[in-house]
Order: sequence, then structure tokens, then C-alpha cells
Amino acid sequence: MKEKENKIGKVVLWIVLIAVAAIQLFPLIWLVDFSLGSSNEMFTNGLLIIPEKIRWDNYVKAFVDGNFLHYLRNSILINTLAVILVVIISIMAAFACQRMKWKLNGFVSTLLVLGMMIPIHATLLPNYKIYSALHLTDTVWALLIPYVAFSMPQGMFLMTGFIQALPKELEEAAVMDGCGIYRIVFQIVTPLLKPSIATVAIMTFLNNWNEFMMASTYLSTPTWKTLPFSVLEFTGEYSSNYAVQFAVMALTAAPAVIVYVILNKHITKGVAMGAVKG
Amino acid sequence: MKKKVIATLLTVAMTALVLAGCGSNKGSAPVSGDTQNVQEQAGGEESAADPAEDAADAADETSGEVTIKLFSSLPDRKNGQGLVEQMIIDEYMAANSNVTIEVEALDEEAYKTKFKAYAMDGMPDVVSIWGQPSFLDEVLDAGVLAELNEDDYAEYSFIAGSLDGFKKDDKLYGLPRNTDIMLFYYNQKMFADNGWEVPATYDDLMALCTDIQAAGFTPVAMDGGDGWPMACFLTDILVQVAGIDYADIVSNAVATGDFGAPEIQQATQILVDSANAGMFQVGYDSQDYGTTMNLFTNGQAAMYCMGSWDCSMALNEDIAPEIRENIRAFTMPVVSGGKGGANDIAAWNGGGYAVSANSQVKDEAVKFLNYMYQPDKLSKYGWENGVGLSAQDQTAYLTGSETELQKQVMDILKNATSISGTPINDCGPSAFKTAIENEIQGVSNGSTSVEDFLAAIGAACE
Amino acid sequence: MKKLYSNKPVIFSLVLPGILVFLFAVLAPICLSVYYGFTDYSGMGEAHLVGFDNYVKLVHDSAFGRSLLNSLFLAIGFICIQHPIAIIVAAVLDKLQGKAEGVFRCIYFIPNVISVAVIAYLWKFIYNPDFGLLNNVLSAFGYQGKINWLSQQNAIWSVLVVLIWHGFGWGMLIYYTGIKNIDPVLYEAASIDGAGWWTTFFRITLPLMKPVIQINVTMAIISALKQMETVYLLTNGGPNNSTQFAANYLYQQAFKAFKYGYGNAIGVVFIIICILATVTLNTIFRDKQKA
Repeated sequence: MKEKENKIGKVVLWIVLIAVAAIQLFPLIWLVDFSLGSSNEMFTNGLLIIPEKIRWDNYVKAFVDGNFLHYLRNSILINTLAVILVVIISIMAAFACQRMKWKLNGFVSTLLVLGMMIPIHATLLPNYKIYSALHLTDTVWALLIPYVAFSMPQGMFLMTGFIQALPKELEEAAVMDGCGIYRIVFQIVTPLLKPSIATVAIMTFLNNWNEFMMASTYLSTPTWKTLPFSVLEFTGEYSSNYAVQFAVMALTAAPAVIVYVILNKHITKGVAMGAVKG
Repeated sequence: MKKKVIATLLTVAMTALVLAGCGSNKGSAPVSGDTQNVQEQAGGEESAADPAEDAADAADETSGEVTIKLFSSLPDRKNGQGLVEQMIIDEYMAANSNVTIEVEALDEEAYKTKFKAYAMDGMPDVVSIWGQPSFLDEVLDAGVLAELNEDDYAEYSFIAGSLDGFKKDDKLYGLPRNTDIMLFYYNQKMFADNGWEVPATYDDLMALCTDIQAAGFTPVAMDGGDGWPMACFLTDILVQVAGIDYADIVSNAVATGDFGAPEIQQATQILVDSANAGMFQVGYDSQDYGTTMNLFTNGQAAMYCMGSWDCSMALNEDIAPEIRENIRAFTMPVVSGGKGGANDIAAWNGGGYAVSANSQVKDEAVKFLNYMYQPDKLSKYGWENGVGLSAQDQTAYLTGSETELQKQVMDILKNATSISGTPINDCGPSAFKTAIENEIQGVSNGSTSVEDFLAAIGAACE
Repeated sequence: MKKLYSNKPVIFSLVLPGILVFLFAVLAPICLSVYYGFTDYSGMGEAHLVGFDNYVKLVHDSAFGRSLLNSLFLAIGFICIQHPIAIIVAAVLDKLQGKAEGVFRCIYFIPNVISVAVIAYLWKFIYNPDFGLLNNVLSAFGYQGKINWLSQQNAIWSVLVVLIWHGFGWGMLIYYTGIKNIDPVLYEAASIDGAGWWTTFFRITLPLMKPVIQINVTMAIISALKQMETVYLLTNGGPNNSTQFAANYLYQQAFKAFKYGYGNAIGVVFIIICILATVTLNTIFRDKQKA
């Protein structure tokens, strides 16, 4: 009796899991499927199509006309820079506020974390004004500054928690050896924070990789445009060719998905650590 | 006050930049100001009277590199108007080796939004504009567009009156690209196969829509997601209802904020009834331009309501030949009891180009603008690529090998007894435009009453 | 040690970059917003101070009211639809052992790493009444009508579905981590007492997950308030403002309707609402934890 119940339970369990997986994945499969056909095949009634002819040239068009490599390079560059800056700035500030003795440490720490509450889009209008007054629009700074600014509070928050958890003995020993603060921060503490840095880096990356509102407002030439632009530009450029639009969407999504699938374990761990704490 | 704020920010920012400096170079440095000044001095002396000669001169000048930024509302660079624009750009760059033209192209809605952002602080050198109050009034008040010398264009054969929308206080700030006519495109083959006929009256059109629906097709593909095409459609109906009084009725309503005129009420009611009867595709009020057009060009819809600029569909290789060769057009049929006749059409000179007042390469930009408008450029290439009608006299470029669609559109214009001018949504300030383009979705899908709709758009006029 | 750790110049140098970023990218724009919120600035030309005019207008602006209601709707939708499913799936996943667990977890999270730009356009196609995936699925089940998923009545639900789909993996993952942190001894004890799966779930899993649920609920409400990008691309607030959100509305007002001053006033109110919401939620949950 019990055994039977268990079996039924198992079946239900699998059905639930597979159903959810299907809902999460099917739209993407649909996307890839139609990206290999021709536009006319869109209008068939079936759920999926078997393209008359597999049209890889959709992807060639998407790759070449979508400026794929250029935008990918920009995305990687800007995000990497943002991650590095966020990590360094938040380690420094978190260390100063958490470990060092001064009057305003609590105030500054709260102030910096406060940014988490501010909706990033509310700064779109005034920032546009500021950046154009400083001639920062259409430069890499126009993206880097807001990306860093709105990821820093979270980084700061996480780092404060992590640094708090570090044992003080190592630092004390380092002071005995005559280390200065900078060496303590960058050579003693930072290496100990490796898993936390990974968490902050992953959270920052996920926050900013897909951002495009800032990018579409502050940038004008393709020089610094990021990956999401492939899609935006393409829907205008190839408005009458659905298959190519699908191809460019699939192509744009690909790098993040591939990296995620490969690094899945680490990213999951990072997100879990960051989100539960944050 | 404002200056102080910005100055303070500047100081803060400078320090931030220095401190956060991280080895990456400062992005795409624009062409250095010095070179531009030199170039401006070099080219500035000459008048822009003879564009062809100027272009030749510019080619000889190798004194400095010039980058002209062109902000365009034509993202599709391989078809129609966008292709024509790109052709001219390529030609110009080939003829002037020191000139680089950088294009940023967005579709119309996104374009207008970003244009306004640019208008705040520094625009690209050459921009697309619309010679209509909703777009141009505030832009001209702010003085962001450069004044053009009207005398330069005496030889450019612009159609009489086509420059009017681009002027303020008798000064010219832009040039029109097209003569736009509101059309119903239809699929001739589909019509013939099903025994449908081009409607002569609006009642015929309604009856036709019922037949088309019964046959399992969408009668009219309507880009309702964007709001403005539906406002143009309303304009078209209003022209049939009010006849030549259209412009007066609308300008009066905008001035007073009272849209209660019986003609406007009737026209809106017709729109509501049509939408209600299923004239448009399911979900028309949330679909964008591309989706709507594709519905027609893929044979799902029998008709497509859009301006004459889409005549280039007839030559678009992405559209199956059996459809693109069968595209024909007719104008809004007469409304019974209306004052408009079959040849009173909704048409205007809308889109065009202008040069930014603060452009650092203004002279070069004007030179390029003039080059584009040489009669054998925009106008001729446009015609050859099946784009609708330009704002210039095109009779010299008739080849006899035009698409049927082009010939039709030309005849429509030739036979027109009156032309409406600016569509209703573009007759007021931009707040009015935003309001009417939002509200028209609500009134057509039945969630707002006609009275509330007219009251809401009236309120946006103040 | 003490002296070294209270060296003012060193402290200053460590926190300076952070403070500068905060001042320049967060505080300065907010101040500028406050200033412009009191003007009739159109975006070009002259700005005139108009006092509280913009704010008075805002109170009567039905589209803004609508956008706040929409945020509330999303938040309720997340909490009542997305989170229960996420908790149950997380609990079920916890029962699986071995490779399958990792595979499912990975699949659930995939939509999360895809750009909103792609997601929004993809769903535009999925919702298309004529050839979209959703109506095709329905017709595969025999329903022949064409449903207009983005109509004025349906659009906000459709937006909710996209957001639930996109964010599901994130919520699930956090619950899953929370469940993994529960001491297995408790489950063993329950199983010895003869408790079934549901009993265990309601008696042990849910109560112990309370802090995690609180975090997730807070995040759901905040993200519902801050919603912009998906809506901007999917419906741009339409039809007729039925899917309008504060962030999208202020953008439209500033850059479309030439009311930069008014847009900034919306921004200021928007910021205040976000701060209030965060503070309130934190206070409520902190008090509860104490009790």
C-alpha cells in the first residue's frame, strides 16, 4: 500500500517537474526552430515546423548585419569593467566601514547601501541631462557609471557581511609583520574573499548584462552599444523577415545561455548565496 | 541656478573620473574640435547656392576629415526609403573622400522619443523631421534646427506649398521628403479570386469587410499599436465627412480644446463602428508596424491601411512575388452624407530632413542636405525604388516602367480635387499627440466612449 | 593596530571612490530631479519654476494612478501565483537525487539569463493572435478562435505571465537554497512520526522557510514597482495605458510628450514610493521576526 502510494507520488513529482521544464524551455525551442525556416513558414498552424530547407543564412545575416561580434565585445568589456570596479570599490568601502575605527562608519555604510532602494530608471532623465552636459553621452562612461553605481550598493552590502565573518587573527598577525592597510586589504583580505567576490561578480553581471534602457538612452553610435541592440536594431531593419529576426534573437541569447549552462553550478551557488543574504 | 548645479556636478564628476580611471580609453572620441573648425573655415566662405559644384569642391578639399552624424527614422536600409537614403550617403562619401557619414537609424516611434532627448542637449548634424506642429513647433521654439536659405532651393522644383510646414515666421528650417497619401493597399489577386470589388462608398467597404471575414481573412491590417496610423485613418474619414472644411474644423478644435464638432463626432463614431464590426485584425490595438504590414504581405489580410511611403512593398524582395506584384491601392471611399468627394484625399508633406543649429560641421551638413535634395537624388532614386511620391516634381523621371502601384498613386494625386494637409494627431502640441494616440486605442476598442475620448484629447490641448 | 585602523586619511581614501560614485550617480541625479520637478521645463529652451503644479497634476493623473495599481497587481500576481509554484517546485526538486536535480534546476533558470530585449520580442510573437505560439497551442487542443492576448483587458495579465516565466528560476532557486538549509534531522523525525509529504511540507518546510519567503516577497514587491523594460518593449504601456508603469510613464512624459519637468516630478514621487515600500516591508518583517 505504502509502496504504491510512493510510486504514484514519484510519477506526479516527475510530471510536475517536466511540465514546468517544458513551459520554461518550449518558447526557446520554438524560437530556434523558426529561426531556421523561412518567414512564410511562420504562418503555418503547427506548433513546430520542419523547415523545408534549413536556412543557416538567417544566422549569417544576423551575425554580420547584427554587428554581433562588435556588440558582444562591448558587452563583455563594459560588464567586465563594471564587475572589477564594483568589486574593488565595495571591498575597500566595506573594509573601511566594517573593520576600521571612525565615527561615521555606520552612516557611510548605510548611505552607500541606500542606493539599493533607488529605482535605477528614475535617474534616467536627470542623468541624461548630466551626461550630456559633461559630454559623456555616447561614451563608455555613460554605461559604466550607472552600472557601477547601481550594483555597488548590493556589492557593498554583501561584502560587509562577508568581511564581518572573517577571523581577525590574520589581520592582527599582518599588522605585527608591519603591513600597511592597503596591503592588508588587497593582499590579506581580498584573497580570503574569493567566493564572495564570485558572488558579487555574478550578481553584477546578471544585473547589467541584459540592461538596455540606459544603453538606448545614452548611446547613439554603435561604438559602445551592447548586445541587446542587435535585437532592437534588427526588428526595424528586417521588419518583413521574421525568420532572420528569430535568428538574431537566438544568437543574442546564446552567449549568456551557453556560459550559464557551462558554469551552471558556480552561478547557481553564487546567486543563491547573494540573494539569500541580500 | 541651472548652471551652478551643472558646474558643481562637473567638478564632482571630474574627480570621479580621475579616481575611477581604469585604463580604458575614453570611448569613441569625436572628431577633434580643431579639425572641424579648420574645415568650417575652409568651406564656410562658399555659398551653398550650387550644391553640385560644392560637392565637387568638397572632394578637392583634403584639408580635413569631416564626420557628419545622420540620425534617421528609416531603419530598413535595404528597402524603400531607407535604401534610397543609404544610396545617396554612399555616393556622397565616394565623391567626398574626406567625409564620413555615420548613420543612426531607429524606427519612427523610437526615433521621435530619442530625437526629443537629443533636442535637450546636442543633436546629430543631419536629422529626420516632420513638418507638422506636433513635432516641429516645440523644436523650432527651442531653436535647435539651423535656418536654411530658401533661395537656395529655387531650382529644386519643390511642389508648391510643400515647404510651408517646415517654416516658422517665414524662415525655412527643413525640407520635405515625401508627399504622403493615406491609402488602402489591397491584394488584387485575392480580390479577383473572391469576386470582391473596390468599394465606392464606406457602406460598400463595411459590406466588403463582412465578406472578407466570412472568407476567413482579415479585412484591413491596421497598425493600432502605434496610435498614429489610426489617427491618420480617422483623418481620412474626417476628410470624407467634412470635405474641404477639415483643416478649419481641426485647427479650431485644437485652438479651443473643444472637439465636440459634429463632423469629428461622426468620424470617430465611424471608426468605432468599423473596429467593432471587425474591420481590423484581432489584436490590432497592440501590434506594431512590422507585424501589421507582414499580415498583409503574407496574404493574411486583404487590405492594409497605411501611407503612400509603403508603395515600395511592390519591389521588396522579401515579399513573395505573387503578393507584391498584386498590390494595388485605393483611397478612402465616400461617406454617405459627407461633404467630401472621392477625390478629396488625406495627404500631406510630412517627413523630411533638417540640419542641427549647433552642429560643429554645419556647413558640411547643409552641403550634404542640399546634395540629397538635388532633384536627381532623393526624388529620382525614390521613384526608381518604388517609394511613393516625393515632395519635388518627379515628371522628369517617369520611365514608363513604374510599378502599377506607383502609377495608381500618381493618378490619385493628379486627380485630387483637394488635399487635407496635416493629419489630426499632428495638428496640436506634442502632449496632444501623445494623448490622442493613446486614447484612440481606447475609443476604437470600445473601452472609452466617444464623448470621453473627445473630452480627453481636448483637455490635452491647453 | 588601533592607530593603524583609525588612520583618517587612509579611511578616507578607501571610502572615497564609493562615496563619489554615490554622489555622482545617485544623489546628484535625484537632486536634479527634485529641481526639475518644480519646473515646467519641456526639455528644450527655458525652465520656469512652477512650485507644486506638477505634483498637483500628478495627483489627478489617472495614467499614473493606473501605473501604481498595475504595480500592485504585479506584486500580488507574483506572490499569489509565482511564489507558491516556486516553493512547491523547489520542495519537489529537493526530493530528487542525483543528476536530474541539477538538470532541472539548470533548465528552470535559463530564461533568467536571457536579455529582456529578447524575451519581450519573443513573447510579442508568442502572443501574436494570427501566428503566435499560444493561439497555435490552443488550436492544437481544438480551440479555433483567435484570442487577443494583448488587448486592453488581457494585456496586464499577459505582462504578468511573461514576468513570471522570466523570473521563475530566480525565485525557485532561492527557495531551493532555503529548503536545502533545513536540517535533515527534522525531516527524519517527521518521517518517524509517520507524517506524509504534505504534512511535512506545511509543518516543517514552510515555517522554517519564513525568512526566505520574506526576502522573496520583498523582492517581488520591489521588482513590481520598478518594472520597466519588459513593458517598454512588449506593450509600451498600451493599449490606452492599461499596462502603464511608473518608470515607463515618466520616460514617455519626458521624451515623448515634451514634459521633462513633469517626468522628473513623477521620478521623485516614484523614488519616494520605492523607499517607503522597502522601509515598510523591512519594518514589518523585522517586527515579526522579533515576535
